[in-house]
Amino acid sequence: MRKEIKDFDNGQDAVAHILESAKRAGATSADALYVWTEEENVTVRKGTLEKIQASQSQGLGIRVFVGQSQSSISTRDLSKSHIDALVERAVAMARQTAADPFAGLPDNLEQPTIDSADLFPEETEFPTRESLFDRARVAEDAALAFDPRVTNSEGADCARSHARIVFGNTLGFLSGYHKRSYSLSCSVIASEGDAMERDYWYVVGPLWNVTQKPESVGARSAKRAVSRLHARRIPTCSLPVLFDPETARSLIGHFTGAISGSALYRNASYLKDREGTPVMSEKMTLREDPFIPGGLGSRPFDGEGLPTKPKTIVQRGILSTYLFDSYSARKLRRHSTGNAVRSLSDGPGVGISNLIVEPGEKTPEEMMAGLTDGLLVTELIGFGVNTVTGDYSRGAFGYRIKNGQISHPVSEITLAGNLDDLYRGIVEIGSDLEIRSSINTPSLLVEGLRISGE
Amino acid sequence: MTSHSHDIALFFENQFGTSPRLLEGILGAASLSPTVDDADLYFEYTVREHYSLEDGIVKKAGQDVSQGVGARIVAGERTGFAFTEEFDPKALTRAVESARRIADMGDSHTPVSVSRPSRPASDLYPVSDPTLDRPVLEKITVLESLDRLARAESSKVVQVMASLASEVKTIQVVRRDGTIVADRIPLTRINISVIAQDGNNRQTGSYGWGGRTDYSGLVTADRLAHAAREAARQALVNLAARPCPSGTMNVVLGPGWPGILLHEAIGHGLEGDFNRKGTSAFSGRLGERVASPLCTIIDDGTIPGRRGSLNVDDEGTPTQRTVLIENGILKGYLQDRQNARLMGTRSTGNGRRESYAHPVMPRMTNTVMLAGESHPEEILSTLDRGIYAVNFGGGQVDITSGKFVFSMSEAYYVENGKILHPVKGATLIGNGPDVLTKVRMVGNDMALDSGVGTCGKDGQSVPVGVGLPTIRIDGITVGGTH
Repeated sequence: MRKEIKDFDNGQDAVAHILESAKRAGATSADALYVWTEEENVTVRKGTLEKIQASQSQGLGIRVFVGQSQSSISTRDLSKSHIDALVERAVAMARQTAADPFAGLPDNLEQPTIDSADLFPEETEFPTRESLFDRARVAEDAALAFDPRVTNSEGADCARSHARIVFGNTLGFLSGYHKRSYSLSCSVIASEGDAMERDYWYVVGPLWNVTQKPESVGARSAKRAVSRLHARRIPTCSLPVLFDPETARSLIGHFTGAISGSALYRNASYLKDREGTPVMSEKMTLREDPFIPGGLGSRPFDGEGLPTKPKTIVQRGILSTYLFDSYSARKLRRHSTGNAVRSLSDGPGVGISNLIVEPGEKTPEEMMAGLTDGLLVTELIGFGVNTVTGDYSRGAFGYRIKNGQISHPVSEITLAGNLDDLYRGIVEIGSDLEIRSSINTPSLLVEGLRISGE
Repeated sequence: MTSHSHDIALFFENQFGTSPRLLEGILGAASLSPTVDDADLYFEYTVREHYSLEDGIVKKAGQDVSQGVGARIVAGERTGFAFTEEFDPKALTRAVESARRIADMGDSHTPVSVSRPSRPASDLYPVSDPTLDRPVLEKITVLESLDRLARAESSKVVQVMASLASEVKTIQVVRRDGTIVADRIPLTRINISVIAQDGNNRQTGSYGWGGRTDYSGLVTADRLAHAAREAARQALVNLAARPCPSGTMNVVLGPGWPGILLHEAIGHGLEGDFNRKGTSAFSGRLGERVASPLCTIIDDGTIPGRRGSLNVDDEGTPTQRTVLIENGILKGYLQDRQNARLMGTRSTGNGRRESYAHPVMPRMTNTVMLAGESHPEEILSTLDRGIYAVNFGGGQVDITSGKFVFSMSEAYYVENGKILHPVKGATLIGNGPDVLTKVRMVGNDMALDSGVGTCGKDGQSVPVGVGLPTIRIDGITVGGTH
């Protein structure tokens, strides 16, 4: 393997050097994040190779404090002289920003409670470029062969990535982990007459075998595209709405934004002062689990080096806890919940590792069977969500349900309501929970949304 | 050549030792065969600084340095792409070699002759502060005064967040034919957002402005006052907002940023890659009527100082003014080199990329509907019952089905041509290929947006602009709650 960084043998050395350099330059405390990634991505379109992207990349994100003033820098140049000059500039910049009594590293040094080796399964089978190509080709072939109405393709994409993360601070924390990810996606176009629709499907996971059924990824993308054909609008109305797991995920994602400490201290959440009160239907229980082996959001420590921990966020509809990093915790006289997230050029902020909505009893088919008139939603578009007010209004695609069965595809409609009513209007939770992302939820049936159409 | 532009042309050679002779060696050694249609190296060195304020103080400041070289080899529909963050000959050779392997081509050992770097013919954004070395305190003072001004607008303003971000990107595109084009591209944006509270009712308002200039080109006492006033005003208006009606109705869009309609409804659907592959709702429709005869829409990368403008695109092609729709008839697509070649046409200077680490795609620059003849007041007075939308958040489009959305952030309910009351934010949804056929009136008040747009495609973000006169659209779905 080629040498990854100039002047340093590994991320730990680079981070240790930066922390020393920051102290020499006059910083009273500092932290540093090192990220190394290697990625390869192969795209096949209409049976032939369309694109290969290969890259190896590394970067540093550094935060320095002078008393309680701070500044941050990031760079992709890992030479010692460059880093030392940048750190000096950062210290000079920090001297000019305002002192913020709540700013600073975590109060205490704490070690992770889990060995990162237990978090990320070691892959032993490393795919070659040819195997990436094969999986993508097989997926797309299956999609194109699925139905004569699948007439065009945006291609299938198979990718592998490997990331190493090292984090350290002047409290004495220095730790790292590495994780791999494999993905396969396929996007095809179905057409008939004037109608043309596109849809996709994908799999992603920590082990290469997540891609081992490329035919089913392709077939599913094709089935999704074909079944959208001849979608039409419906009259403006209110109906029970069944969100499939993909769209339910985005719904639950908005909730994590509204319970973050940084939104609370800014007065920017409709869920301010709601801890210990009902915020969702009593059927809903949400857990955060940073220790799912290979989970997309799994991590042994957070973006400030504090240990992550599993916790219940919503228990039978009642909000058990907000989420804090050190900064928002200090501002609100609380303690960090280990939810700091950090990127090279930004942060720390507040975020979630893996979120799980506890599944219910009914399959989506059984949920649908109970609806005489309803809407199944499989895609949401747009940004019409305001977590300050809870106002929600998004474009949607889905299927009209009549007498327990899918009647026809529906497009060019919007769903609108308020998140507070929406979460409390969840009347049924599906049994179809599958862990395939950092936010994981089964199908959710919601009452009270306004549907705009004709 | 002025000494300043000389400095830009020789930047990478001086900084990293990448002389024309070295580049000749690297491109020559890659032994590109005749089946290769295009190959380029994209050098980038970007310095960005950012400041943010909340609770009345500037608590964060920072600087990011980003550098690298993207290597691309194109043969027919195939693309090989790799990048390196080191500038030494070995790393460059490895990146080119990695990109070349994709097409699995034979060797030709054609020698490549690399010329001295040249500057673009146009100069749309003179750079006066290329090293971002204005005193830090000056920038901190700007944000502090925005905070003060916004709080002075109303005692209901309970939170102010403001940010300033400025970058200078130096690029050099080295083409397979040996030509080198170098440019230095500034970009600055200032933003303020406020939260106003009345009892339990909390609402937001925001204003941002920017362009291809350094920070001193954007800051005057008037602009700061205007920004603070606008952000506070919008939040206060929203405190009085009532639930938005739902269903299909007539809508009047105000001038400027509501031009995001054009970006989502037709702009993406006219990008060359989608049309070459036949995946856009606009594919194969050149020469057809796709809009009312009142509509003429252009994409113009040559407007001085605008956020979406560029002297040359990221393939070194000069930007231009491209007519997309003329009097309602579809006239053209937006092209980069690869898609233009495959469609038998020329690049329109729309080949753009987020950075050295991202491949080129056809992207918009500044997408604008030209002014019509109606007075804006007259347009509003014709609205019997509907929505007057003056400000928007983001939008999104499914280019295959043509369905697009964009979300109002300041809008009013109108009856008999009179504004009755503000309504809460709601999403508008429409169908790209027919929404513009429903345009009944076009105002004489075309305005460009204030310079805040960022467009996302395939995970890549690039700065863009939009422009729109007041227009009336008959029949668009409004996603309200009652």
